[in-house]
Amino acid sequence: MFDKDRMEEIERRRREWEEGTLKRSRERFGMKESPTEFYSPAEVKDFDFLEKVGFPGEYPFTAAEYPSNLPALRIRGGVSALLVRAGRYSGYGAPEDTRDYYNYMREAFGRRGGPNIAFDLPTQCGYDSDDPVARGEVGKVGVAVDTLRDFEVIYEAFVGESDLDKIASNWTINAPCNVILAMYITLAEKRGIPLDGLRGTPQNDILKEFVARGTYIFPPRPSMRMIRDTITYCTEHMPSMNTISICGYHMREAGAGPVQMVAFTLANAMAYVQLGMEAGLDVDTFLRRFTFLAWSTGMEFFKEIARARAARRVWAKIMRERFGAEDPRSWMLRGAGGMGVPTHTLTAQRPLNNLTRNIIVGIGNALSGAPPMVPVPYDEPLGLGHSLEAEQLNMDGGRLLQFEARLADVIDPLAGSYYVESLTDQAEEEIWEIIGRIDAIGGAVAAIESGYMQREIARSAYEYQKQVESGERVIVGVNRFTGENELEVLTTRLVEHPYDPVKRAEAEEKQIKNLAQVKRGRDNGQVQATLKRLKEEAKDEKVNLIPSILEAIKAYATIGEICGVLREVFGEYQAYNVAA
Amino acid sequence: MAEERRIRVLMAKPGLDGHDRGARVLTLGLRDEGMEVIYTGLRQTPDKIVEAAIQEDVDVVGLSCLSGAHRYLFPEVVEGLRERGAQDVMVIGGGIIAKEDIPFLKEKGIDAVFGPGTPVKEIANYIRENAKRK
Repeated sequence: MFDKDRMEEIERRRREWEEGTLKRSRERFGMKESPTEFYSPAEVKDFDFLEKVGFPGEYPFTAAEYPSNLPALRIRGGVSALLVRAGRYSGYGAPEDTRDYYNYMREAFGRRGGPNIAFDLPTQCGYDSDDPVARGEVGKVGVAVDTLRDFEVIYEAFVGESDLDKIASNWTINAPCNVILAMYITLAEKRGIPLDGLRGTPQNDILKEFVARGTYIFPPRPSMRMIRDTITYCTEHMPSMNTISICGYHMREAGAGPVQMVAFTLANAMAYVQLGMEAGLDVDTFLRRFTFLAWSTGMEFFKEIARARAARRVWAKIMRERFGAEDPRSWMLRGAGGMGVPTHTLTAQRPLNNLTRNIIVGIGNALSGAPPMVPVPYDEPLGLGHSLEAEQLNMDGGRLLQFEARLADVIDPLAGSYYVESLTDQAEEEIWEIIGRIDAIGGAVAAIESGYMQREIARSAYEYQKQVESGERVIVGVNRFTGENELEVLTTRLVEHPYDPVKRAEAEEKQIKNLAQVKRGRDNGQVQATLKRLKEEAKDEKVNLIPSILEAIKAYATIGEICGVLREVFGEYQAYNVAA
Repeated sequence: MAEERRIRVLMAKPGLDGHDRGARVLTLGLRDEGMEVIYTGLRQTPDKIVEAAIQEDVDVVGLSCLSGAHRYLFPEVVEGLRERGAQDVMVIGGGIIAKEDIPFLKEKGIDAVFGPGTPVKEIANYIRENAKRK
């Protein structure tokens, strides 16, 4: 960037500054060390723009995944360009309740696009609503789904102009992903919609479930086989269906540090890439349907921005150099975005401060190669569901950054910043170091089987807590700047949350009745025959189980029956339960 | 002088909720506060928790739930302890618990509810002051 003489002069002048101007100032204020840093070209001597940054949407993708923010901005700005995209994460109670909610949101608020379905915990863990272990959980954190009947009911809200070939669906489902996928396929077949017209994104990222989110069923190896089945089946039959959404978010929320989050995510992603390659698929074909639900973020603005930039660069190198992918689209950390979502930093104390935190992150997103997304409504930590007011503030926050502050007019404006480039290099180095450790253990699956990732995250979480309790890490209004006369800051909730608390409370009883009715109406002999076939095929590791799961779903076998048969063959994951 | 028995705590995750950052952090934090803490891991039924509490002879059971199933799961644990004659075991809870639910839980025998962001020290002090020593 600078010739040798000029660089030497900069270094000389820096030393003079430190010993002169800066020192005088320090001494005047009685400080041994400067409380601030200053970065000059001397800190990024080997900075090479094309090698380190490149143009947006091109290798090494440091600036951004895409050449412009156009599609994303259209959604945020309310211009109805991409109607098919899945809407916000939602779903509760019995399937009828969720169907009615989707209809209501369309009629009352003009909500468009497919559903982004939240499933309840029994569904996510492969238990039926009438299973004793499901008690108290049915319909709570999402909608209860036991059989195909339930999917038919939910999707009654998506017909005509919103039929399955005109929307994209999003399912936060991991361990029983292929069961849910089979329900969708069957639904489409019943409606006469060809499979290649189906679009959607199942989460299907089981590795982070073992590490952070907890909705695993089977041990890691057979779980990975199920994901291989998704990848191979979809590559052949559903070229527009994403096969996996690889998450860093949950690991950070569980306590991982910023760089740890990136390294673990990329290590997990590598294990999934390996699956497709070992199945004999062309990496550039199946990689197109991998997506990332990437980052949860802390508040350390520049470090988080640098971490987001470094993540894109490391992934590009992994895909091009390690896996030999040739299509530039395979090198891209697709959908990862920028700084991310700051959920774990939000506080129940002085909840309106969360709006400020989210605006800061919105700016960070705009500066780190993503749209100016303001992520989480401020009332999230209150646990009452997002108020519509809080949602509007978020939506408007993003619009304000885009249309008033005009932050979306430029991509990666920090490129070439001595400070940010230096931080990005440092983050990259740390990411490679952790990936190297996981490689040495034998990859992500082995690292999870040995409890390595779990231990590391638990340690980081505890370190964080100790920093908060000692006051080393300041959280405004929580461990500092609190007072004797704390104000009760009221949050407005002028509009009721659209989930009906009565329906939610009654969901368990209602869904158990729904399930009993399905069981009475189906051909139980046929169900048993399909389950028998599934069990036999599960024993042969080479067989793709989706066709036999499809047969079971068509016979109205339950998610608990299907996962039950697979539990018998695969066993259940015995959690790594040591705290750290 | 006989060595004083350390306070024994069972940290438990009832139900299907997989969020155990709080339970893990508290396990480590209460250990640093000098207590003996056993963590059950995820997906415990109330029965299993009661069984573990009795087998491990604990003074305190800490329940963590972020899924909204606390209104069913927490009282089940208290009830189970009572049925087994272990009503002197203190039961405390945490997680995402709506304010309106706290009086209900206390009525059902949960001694205290600690929300997100509660310092470990505060919980440790509460335990030291209130756990019924056998």
